[in-house]
Amino acid sequence: MKTLAERTAAQRPNVALTALLSLAPLAVGVIAAFLLQAVLAPAVGPFYAKLVLDVGIAILLSVSLNIVNGFAGQFSLGHGGFMLVGGYTAAYLTYYGSIALWGTAEIHGGFMEGGDIFFMVACVVGGIVAALAGLLVGLPSLRLRGDYLAIVTLGFGEIMRVVIQRTGDVLPVAEAKQKGMLGSLTNVGGSLGFTDVPQYVSPTPWLEKTGHAGIFFTYIFVAICVVVAFRLKASSNGRALLAVRENEVAAEAMGVVTARAKVTAFVMAAFFAGIAGGLFGHQSTLSPSELGFQKSIDIVIMVVLGGMGSISGAVLAAIVLTLLPEALRNFSQYRMIIYALSLIAIMIARPQGLFGTKEIWETTWWRRLFGRRTKAEAP
Amino acid sequence: MSTAVTSEPVLTAQHLSLAFGGLKAVADFSLTLRAGALAGLIGPNGAGKTTIFNLLTGVYQPDQGEIFLGKQRLNGLKPSARAKAGMARTFQNIRLFGELSVLDNVRTACGVRAKSGLVGALLRTPGWRAEERAITERSMDLLQTLGIAGRAHEQAKSLPYGDQRRLEIARALATEPKVLLLDEPVAGMNTQEKHAMRSMIQQIRVDFEVAVLLIEHDMGLVMEICDHITVLDHGTTIAAGVAADIQNDPAVIEAYLGAPDDAASEGADGVA
Repeated sequence: MKTLAERTAAQRPNVALTALLSLAPLAVGVIAAFLLQAVLAPAVGPFYAKLVLDVGIAILLSVSLNIVNGFAGQFSLGHGGFMLVGGYTAAYLTYYGSIALWGTAEIHGGFMEGGDIFFMVACVVGGIVAALAGLLVGLPSLRLRGDYLAIVTLGFGEIMRVVIQRTGDVLPVAEAKQKGMLGSLTNVGGSLGFTDVPQYVSPTPWLEKTGHAGIFFTYIFVAICVVVAFRLKASSNGRALLAVRENEVAAEAMGVVTARAKVTAFVMAAFFAGIAGGLFGHQSTLSPSELGFQKSIDIVIMVVLGGMGSISGAVLAAIVLTLLPEALRNFSQYRMIIYALSLIAIMIARPQGLFGTKEIWETTWWRRLFGRRTKAEAP
Repeated sequence: MSTAVTSEPVLTAQHLSLAFGGLKAVADFSLTLRAGALAGLIGPNGAGKTTIFNLLTGVYQPDQGEIFLGKQRLNGLKPSARAKAGMARTFQNIRLFGELSVLDNVRTACGVRAKSGLVGALLRTPGWRAEERAITERSMDLLQTLGIAGRAHEQAKSLPYGDQRRLEIARALATEPKVLLLDEPVAGMNTQEKHAMRSMIQQIRVDFEVAVLLIEHDMGLVMEICDHITVLDHGTTIAAGVAADIQNDPAVIEAYLGAPDDAASEGADGVA
């Protein structure tokens, strides 16, 4: 039988077509993000626009956590911690960076001008720093399994939170100018939170005030994250992660370097969690108590509810679980009870999550509703 | 059965020993597999057969002894590195990636020979697409060879038992091995299935130019198809040679059926 190398050499991919196919999903994502910002947000007003924003950040978090918990099957409770690392890194950069560059901590320039681009770069840097933290936390995952790994990742999140709580107050502009960026490294607000972060992510429609295009920025990152997750899942690298989840001994015997696969999963997930933290933080104030254990649990619930390994499940669960508490607002004091009860009900009915490990279009009921019969299924 | 055997050794195990605490699981085990060989490893339950597979594939590291694949020394390498070097195996207690499709089980194993990395996959470069298409093509061909291509899109865990065993072999072959270790490939199969599996193993050995080492309790199968048989008992090699010699070896008869003065006449029939 012909080897893989021989077969690969025999393939003649159409370069122009593949380039188009590779870029198309991202282009669609950017257009969708723009429409959400420019059409939906002004139409629904600031309250609902804030929900659109929250949903976007939640999708980013649940889809990225799904890479570790769902694909690779490594139970991580540290996503809040990665969010915190990325968020504080990005906020530190935009706050003190803006002061160093422009002499003020206000947002700078109009839509997609200096300030916005600086903010996007800060978010990516936050993601990279979080990814390095992911590398650190991924290493113990090589020796630990299940509950033990969960405890380590949980510990990481708590350590990060406590470290941030011990930092000094945010310096006002004049003092920050004097001390410079390096001098103010430990002045990120302590337990009071990082106040006065430049408000690049605001639900206010950008047409009304320049520079406020938070939904657009958020959903660009959401699009990248979702595309990355799907492409990962449908590649050798992704199948290696799934193999680790399914049977680690067999995966290793089939040539999957399980150690590298696990660390890769942690790094990728932490990267997007860091970006989500950056987006979250630039709404105005970043507070360590908001990004603690509870946040990590919230994200785990989304992944479990959606189904471990199901990207569309993670997206849907993020949307539902962000909107549900708001939809129940009319029941005021019973709100969280109903929320909890409906979660329990769903998990009793679907213990494997909404879609199990499948994507929504792979489920039997979807195929029954919308499916084209494949040759194998035809009678 | 010596048609495909050439003189070049692909797998050499020299004086392997492994103890778990006070228990000597494997003692001074040596084996040479030549290219295209089909060798058998037999012995009563607990004789150390699977432990030897685990030593060869790197699940355990030997206390003593050396393992070579061609010229490459394998001691200290992890199972994944050994798979890359050309060692593939199936498992006695089937270990498929249950939630994944049959096709994806094989594609995962093909990944060990893939050259394009994570960045190529995320950007979906032309090179990555070419390789991915080649992976799918080769995986389908492997499923075809093993006769389970019709079930390619089913979940692996939903396959009937015999097909799961076939899928394990397809997955092992996907890594493009030089040596294939089969751990009880016909366990639990009926006569017809056993017959099909026997011809399949013989065909695989030729088509894939691979040396096969077989653990099997089905004596008929082992005696019929193996060029060379090693018999283990309590971790020690008690006999090695061609089928005819093994069948008449008093030590082997004793290991399987007790000392000759207990049940000598039944013994000869049972082993044959």
